[in-house]
Amino acid sequence: MARKGEGRIRAGGLFLVLGALLFGAAHAAAGTRVFTDALGRAVTIAYPPERIVSLAPAITETLFALGLKDEIAGVTRFSNFPPAAVEKPRVGSYVNLNIEAIVSLKPDLILATAAGNPQIQARKLQDMGFPVYVVYPKDTDGVLATIRRIAEIVGRSERGGAIVRDMRERIERISHRVRGLNRPRVFFQIGRDPIFTVSRGSFADNLISLAGGDNIAKDARIPYPSYNLEEVILKAPEVIIVSSMYVDTDHSGWLEEWKRWDVLPAVKDNRLYTIDSDLVDRPSVRIVVGLEKMARMIHPEAFPPEPSDQNKTSRQYPGFTATGEPPLRPDEGKILGRE
Amino acid sequence: MIVTLRRSISVTLVLGAALALVMTASLCFGTIPIDPGEILRALVWNLTGRGESSIRDTIIISIRLPRVLLAALVGGALSVAGSIFQALLRNPLADPYILGVSSGSAVGAVLAMMLGLGAMSLGLPLASFAGALGTVLLVFNVGRMGRRVHTNTLLLAGVIINAFFGAVLMFLISISRHEALHTIVFWLMGDFSFADFAGVTLIFPYVVTGISLAYLLARRLNLLVAGEDEAIQLGVDVERVKKSAYVLGSLITAAAVSVCGLIGFVGLMIPHMVRLVLGPDHRLLIPASCLWGAAFLVICDTLARTILAPIELPVGVITSAFGAPFFIYLLKTRSI
Repeated sequence: MARKGEGRIRAGGLFLVLGALLFGAAHAAAGTRVFTDALGRAVTIAYPPERIVSLAPAITETLFALGLKDEIAGVTRFSNFPPAAVEKPRVGSYVNLNIEAIVSLKPDLILATAAGNPQIQARKLQDMGFPVYVVYPKDTDGVLATIRRIAEIVGRSERGGAIVRDMRERIERISHRVRGLNRPRVFFQIGRDPIFTVSRGSFADNLISLAGGDNIAKDARIPYPSYNLEEVILKAPEVIIVSSMYVDTDHSGWLEEWKRWDVLPAVKDNRLYTIDSDLVDRPSVRIVVGLEKMARMIHPEAFPPEPSDQNKTSRQYPGFTATGEPPLRPDEGKILGRE
Repeated sequence: MIVTLRRSISVTLVLGAALALVMTASLCFGTIPIDPGEILRALVWNLTGRGESSIRDTIIISIRLPRVLLAALVGGALSVAGSIFQALLRNPLADPYILGVSSGSAVGAVLAMMLGLGAMSLGLPLASFAGALGTVLLVFNVGRMGRRVHTNTLLLAGVIINAFFGAVLMFLISISRHEALHTIVFWLMGDFSFADFAGVTLIFPYVVTGISLAYLLARRLNLLVAGEDEAIQLGVDVERVKKSAYVLGSLITAAAVSVCGLIGFVGLMIPHMVRLVLGPDHRLLIPASCLWGAAFLVICDTLARTILAPIELPVGVITSAFGAPFFIYLLKTRSI
């Protein structure tokens, strides 16, 4: 399925190149190109863009990974990765944008997400003459395709391709290792009062199944349901993963609370974990790290701490150096921190 | 309708039996159906501490039982507080929230959640209780002139402070982090999924003492409703009755709100329902509101956790959705 999706994108890219050639005569002087976004809209973009405003933390991460440190003109409130992102001007939170702040940055490209940015505000920016390119990844394959698309419209196709290849390789290694193993029942908690979990349609649910687990809440009808405690107890999860929405908040208390229910296999076997939620609910390059961490929690037996795994931490985040610093630009030599 | 001792006892017995039935039924309904015999066995197991506990016993005793007990306590509390406030303010629209108690406790609770106290089992109820008490004192001092309590001024002070705290609440919500937001929103809609025995034991003494004292006040509340001047002529210390009614109603409300958030409609509607059927005498109204309110909220919470299971709804959604049409039906079919 992943292959097919990629094929489609390649075909789309070809179409766009043809389109760009056709429009080339009219737009060559202005230095613009036309790209089709995730909503199927044709967006005319200054190519390559020089003042980009990112309307979601995941987009910010992707832009930094592509080496666009200087081109990023503004980011949203919770853009906290890489550390350099924190110093960029803020344009509101991604569900509550500050139009004035965005306009005052005079962007030549606004990157928006259909999964969260208010449509009204995106349309308003569009009507004011700012090019708004919308992405809409829905699962891990969608994340890879989105990184490719963003790389393409900002003129970093090569680097984007390298990042995506790295990510795909790492995803495939996980799925290879967990193939044929039994699937432990996993409860993934994102809220405590009341209990919230993830179901089909969420990134975390997708990661659980890629990591070889069985999400006990996968059949709830909405992606992020508030969940019955009774149901958790009955479905007897073997692994409980608490996603801490903020790294600086201590969530060990949540795990302590589960220990009260010693009828649960996860409690009996002491398989209670926390994970940084930025790694599992942001459709960015770091999602592959979230997947690797989850796979270790769900199948510790398949991922012994080998020396080779230790080495891999040097390229923990695709596109970033080991310390999470913004990467070198492609013309500065090394593309990825790969061995 | 004349309230005789016999009539009081029989009404109390009938409603008490209904409440017991509703609570037992609520223990049976949930993700897995459990039959009443099994519930009895689990209760016996829990009380005697004998035998093996199964997952089903855990669910009955540790999850459903505190929830059912808490819903009954809160339902009874809000309904009695409603009947007290309706008598005190002589206003049919009065409910436990009209005097600002709710928004005061909401401000306390939201502050606690933003400071991360929501993760501590008793931080949230204690903070919201403190918020409610602070508001009660504020409203009371604004509404009092010298030694006299003017119900109109009290009402006005309550409405104004309610509105002001509403704005404070909106401000806090708009600057709060995502994580706290879930908790805040569910709390504002009224939610029992936080229920545990700690909450039950925390509010039990307040609610039971408050309701008992309210019952002792019943006769004087009757006279207050009939008219202040008449009450004074009959030798009632009206100012004291008003003060006691205000403090009692507020305390009961604060206790209820502190553990489960804002549950609308119950305090407004239940006393009216009971009045339509049993008449306005507080000696009957207070115990009957208590029992019927308790049963009503247990029913609503049962629906909240079963209708879309395993997804849980806030109980406030159910109280309004099912309470309002029933209330309208009563209004249309019985003349006041």
